[in-house]
Amino acid sequence: MDNPSAAATIKRQKTHIFLRGLISFFGFIGIVIVFSILTNGRIIRPDNLSLMFSQVYVLLIASMGVFLIMTVGGLDFSQGSILGLASIIFCWVSNYSIVLGVIAAVLAGAAMGAFNGFFHVKFKIASFIVTICTMYFFRGLCKYITTNGPVPASTNVMMLNETWFKLLLTGIMLLLGFIVWHFTRVGCDLRAIGAGETAARFSGSRPDLLKFLVFMVSGAITGFASFINVIKVGSITGTAGSQLETQILIALVLGGMPISGGAKARFPNIIIGTLTYCVLEMSLPMVFPIPATQQLVKGIIFLIVVALTIDHESLRVIK
Amino acid sequence: MSDVILRSENLYKHFGITTAVNDVSLEFEKGEIHGLIGENGSGKSTFCSTLCGIYPISSGRFLLEGKELRVRSQVEANRHGVSIIVQEMGTLPGLTVAENIFLGEEDKFMHGVVKNTGAMNREAQRLLESYGFKHIIASKMIDNYSFEDRKLIEIIKATYFTPKIVVVDETTTALSQSGREELFTVMDRIKNGGNTVIFISHDLEEVIDHTDRISILRDGSLVGTVKSSETSADELKRLMVGRELTNRYYRTDYGQSVSDEIVLSVDNVSVPGEIQDISFRLHKGEILGIGGLSECGMHETGKAIFGASYGRKGSVTLKGGYEVKSIPGAIKHSIAYASKDRDTESVIIANSIRDNICLPSLADMSNHALLNNGKLDSFAKKFAELMSVKMTGIDQYVSALSGGNKQKVVLSRWLGKDSDILVLDSPTRGIDVKVKADIYALMSELKARGKSIIMISEELQELLGMSDRILIMKDGRINGEFIRNQNLGEKDLITKMV
Repeated sequence: MDNPSAAATIKRQKTHIFLRGLISFFGFIGIVIVFSILTNGRIIRPDNLSLMFSQVYVLLIASMGVFLIMTVGGLDFSQGSILGLASIIFCWVSNYSIVLGVIAAVLAGAAMGAFNGFFHVKFKIASFIVTICTMYFFRGLCKYITTNGPVPASTNVMMLNETWFKLLLTGIMLLLGFIVWHFTRVGCDLRAIGAGETAARFSGSRPDLLKFLVFMVSGAITGFASFINVIKVGSITGTAGSQLETQILIALVLGGMPISGGAKARFPNIIIGTLTYCVLEMSLPMVFPIPATQQLVKGIIFLIVVALTIDHESLRVIK
Repeated sequence: MSDVILRSENLYKHFGITTAVNDVSLEFEKGEIHGLIGENGSGKSTFCSTLCGIYPISSGRFLLEGKELRVRSQVEANRHGVSIIVQEMGTLPGLTVAENIFLGEEDKFMHGVVKNTGAMNREAQRLLESYGFKHIIASKMIDNYSFEDRKLIEIIKATYFTPKIVVVDETTTALSQSGREELFTVMDRIKNGGNTVIFISHDLEEVIDHTDRISILRDGSLVGTVKSSETSADELKRLMVGRELTNRYYRTDYGQSVSDEIVLSVDNVSVPGEIQDISFRLHKGEILGIGGLSECGMHETGKAIFGASYGRKGSVTLKGGYEVKSIPGAIKHSIAYASKDRDTESVIIANSIRDNICLPSLADMSNHALLNNGKLDSFAKKFAELMSVKMTGIDQYVSALSGGNKQKVVLSRWLGKDSDILVLDSPTRGIDVKVKADIYALMSELKARGKSIIMISEELQELLGMSDRILIMKDGRINGEFIRNQNLGEKDLITKMV
């Protein structure tokens, strides 16, 4: 390390590592700047920001669960259906008590997640296959229940539709998630399993148990998110929550989450990713007013952003 | 000047902030076996990996027969007549033996879009027979064959097309004596055909016996090149390490009594298809060696003690009466395990040194389920430095470390856990003399501190040199027991092995 070229390499590499960590963040800032210019500043006007925030909560909370699943190397496509079904259960119970309704929704979500986890772990079926199947299954139940019309929640629920309340709940959930991820052994164990399951097993982690639990917890978190979902929409139709799963996955990838999971999973991936997604989702209709072209442009933009921000380096090394 | 076939000019390779190969200019002659030696992390494997297109070169170049050689993959290297047999597993599971041999060369057997599998299998079988590996069937899945057979298949894959340069990287550690002889025969055949072998090994005697010239690397730089006929193992060691090594390598004490206190009882342990009815006791402060041929079941015995075997019968009981049934239980009750398959079972290579060291000790460091990340950092740093792991920092990924340094990470984590019983499977496999000496010294120190060690090893010298007692296994059963004794020799052990 005593010649100048080696010293220069060290410096370059350190800068590189630093930039890698910030690339999704810069991506987010870049997108905000670009779309602020394209929309003449409309997207950062207060009314638009509050509209955007109202869409962020559910996605942000539900992404936390999928973040855990992706860290251990799994995927979950059933989140939208879980949200739909848990929302219906909340609506029913909310007529007796809102608090009981939240508990029921969390338990229902946990049960659905446990169902996913059980099939994934016990029968060793790849998680994306299991969750695609349960996506249809849970969605089928949703549609069956709502055959005679939407399921309404207690009218008291609508009174909770205050920005500060939803923001507070989301903040509490994020803080809890951050504490568990960062200050308990959960983060360390899950990253280890994602990075190398066999070696993690030989290091004393319990991959099968943890994978099951991660699916269950993820379901429970989405169950909680259904509470905020119902606050926003009031009554639940058969298609409630559909597309949530793809929104979550694209948000996490935009946030820099490695698709194969493992050691590079970072908690801020969730927040940056969700915000980036919501900015794109909000701005595109303003820039491209014709609905037919929106989907098309959205697809192209996601592809470009993901290609620019994804960590090619780690993908080459990992799997 | 005789015929130079390959030359490297001012070659550099950087990994992050580490310089793995530092300005190496080296010449290889036609028809020679050229040894490449150095400590772990000295850059031997990296040098050859850049030659074969596994890693890109940072700066400098290779000249093959006077023309610049710049390849981006192993297949491309093969087309230019350069091939490599690697240290860890180089075959792909889920393919047949024939498909593995002709990987990347399937075009030879294509008729339009149809692959002629029959012709491919026949050609592979012909090669297997011409190399004398008749027991391997070309059409079978490679998963049916042992580690050693797969190495033999790799040898064919790397040499059947008579390449001009063949790199043999630390292959002998995976082979038994007979397998090594097969490899040396192949190497001689390549040499006699006017082509060149670059031979990397930690076994200095072996290098001296089977090479024409030897180049020594230290910290990524070339120290020098010597003629094999004019050097000795001691001179090579000195060149590798850069100073004189003391002779103390194995333990020198004999006749010391081992405590009567039993810390671990293994009773009638069987694992279907692997081991049968294994029973023995481990005492406090004892180093118990377990040896045998590689397929004798000794590796599975280590896993069974650690609670890692599937379908185990019988019991493994600790001093306090605790019965080991699972890995977390074993770790909690102070059993440590280092696997022979280091990259898959010992360390998580795609994870940081910090997480690797802390993982088994997380439960101890939690305070009401909460962790202090600063404490984890200093814990990992302390034990990595205690074992002098050569690293840029604890955030470095284990995948960037050399074999010996990976093993040091494994040992650091168990030192950190302060385990009382250490099951070490092939602790010095593929590791250079200096780190080997460090590991033996550590084992002696742990013994002195009252820790008990089970050392599973295919190296007879290591078993004889370090163990208080040796169990020899054969066909899944214990076939002999020897007490530490100056007059005990390799021959005594071998009679019980075969």
